[in-house]
Amino acid sequence: MKFRNESIFHLKTLNQEKLLNSLCKKFSLTKIDRLNEKEVKFSCDYSKYKKIEKYLKERNTEIISISHFGVMWRLSQVLTSFGLIFAILFISIGFSIQYQYIWQYEILGTEKLDKNSVVSFIAENFDKKKSKIDIVEIETALANKFNEISFASCIIKGQTLVVNIKEKLLPDEKYGQFQPIISQKNAKITKIELISGTLNVKVGDFVEVGDVLVEPYVIDSSGEIKKVEANAKIYAEVYNEGSADHYESFIDVYRTGRVCEESVVTLFGLPIYTFKTENTFKMYEVEYETTNLIQNNFLPFKLKKTKIYELEERVVETKFEDVQDEYLQKARQNALEKCEDCDKIIDEYYTLRHLSGITVVNYCIVTLEEIGEKYVG
Amino acid sequence: MFNFFGEIKENLKNTNKIGLDNFNLINISGKILYVEGHLGLVTLSKETISFKVKNAVIIVDGSEMILSELSENTLKITGKIKKVEQI
Repeated sequence: MKFRNESIFHLKTLNQEKLLNSLCKKFSLTKIDRLNEKEVKFSCDYSKYKKIEKYLKERNTEIISISHFGVMWRLSQVLTSFGLIFAILFISIGFSIQYQYIWQYEILGTEKLDKNSVVSFIAENFDKKKSKIDIVEIETALANKFNEISFASCIIKGQTLVVNIKEKLLPDEKYGQFQPIISQKNAKITKIELISGTLNVKVGDFVEVGDVLVEPYVIDSSGEIKKVEANAKIYAEVYNEGSADHYESFIDVYRTGRVCEESVVTLFGLPIYTFKTENTFKMYEVEYETTNLIQNNFLPFKLKKTKIYELEERVVETKFEDVQDEYLQKARQNALEKCEDCDKIIDEYYTLRHLSGITVVNYCIVTLEEIGEKYVG
Repeated sequence: MFNFFGEIKENLKNTNKIGLDNFNLINISGKILYVEGHLGLVTLSKETISFKVKNAVIIVDGSEMILSELSENTLKITGKIKKVEQI
């Protein structure tokens, strides 16, 4: 595209010199080219072309064509394009009309309250036109309509009404959620503090994981079942067990210390240098390691190292009495790992089971804990 | 501002008597001919362009010539200029 703004006239006239002489007295002409006896072409500044055109028409000069070049001409074409202007106008009017309305609702901060119910309440009871919307009125109406709402604040952001809700902290039964309390551990009940609900166990009972401790209902004086939130503090002796097995004789596989190495230098995954010693081991295990030879990434030289360790087997024979303390500690440690959130260790003991060549150590740590959690279906 | 034509005319003196203000012609390397003080085109073609000046007609012969600029008092011819003649 030419940046110089110019218009090129292509004329058909007989007395070209006379015409050019009269034209040049009023306008500055450039690139005058006589094509033949009847036709001539010349250029002029784009801003003057209308005057020249008028001048030529007044003298009945035949204009074959007028062509334009330059940024200004392009710009004027765009600005005088009625279709485009109409489209812009139409879009602007459409946008300005629809911009006055709320098209979207965004509900934030709801956990228990259904967002759709809030949206439908606002949509049904309040105008969508921004100018007719009273934010305070919506906030008050929401707080009055929904008991779960403690506080609501609204803002209009573009064409979205953003509602920020802070919910009240209500007990579960307000939402119709009645779940029993179940045991999450194997334990012996020692103490019960019932707040609401119906007990399913009593002090001294042994319970397993999944057993219902408190049902979410009560039976009133007329014998009718009334749903309530199950709520109780239940304490129990929890048995945390851990074990360790001792074998009087077992085969121990160990590394002898002899190693074979194989090194491969690669570039873009292709091996370019290999060095290895022959593997003569009968029994072995292998470790692989890959490192970059050069720190930069221009040439990704990598060293792949394979280490082969020789292994041997040996029979180890030990008497349980010699290593008893060690295995007791192992079993105790396993039991302790199962003690989560234990309030208090009240007892610990172990049992030994001697089988043929194997001794099983069972260690039990008894803790006093509060058990029971709401069932989540 | 320095004016080349003005300086030359200053050196000649008696400017009015010898009519130095009628027109100026500059031929640049036979490729551009710049004219000040023309009084109108007489002929226009790719081989010959002639124009009036005060008390004379200038005929420019050449080839592939284009009148690249034309205003009321000045003109510029570009192309291969072979001969500039005053009659």
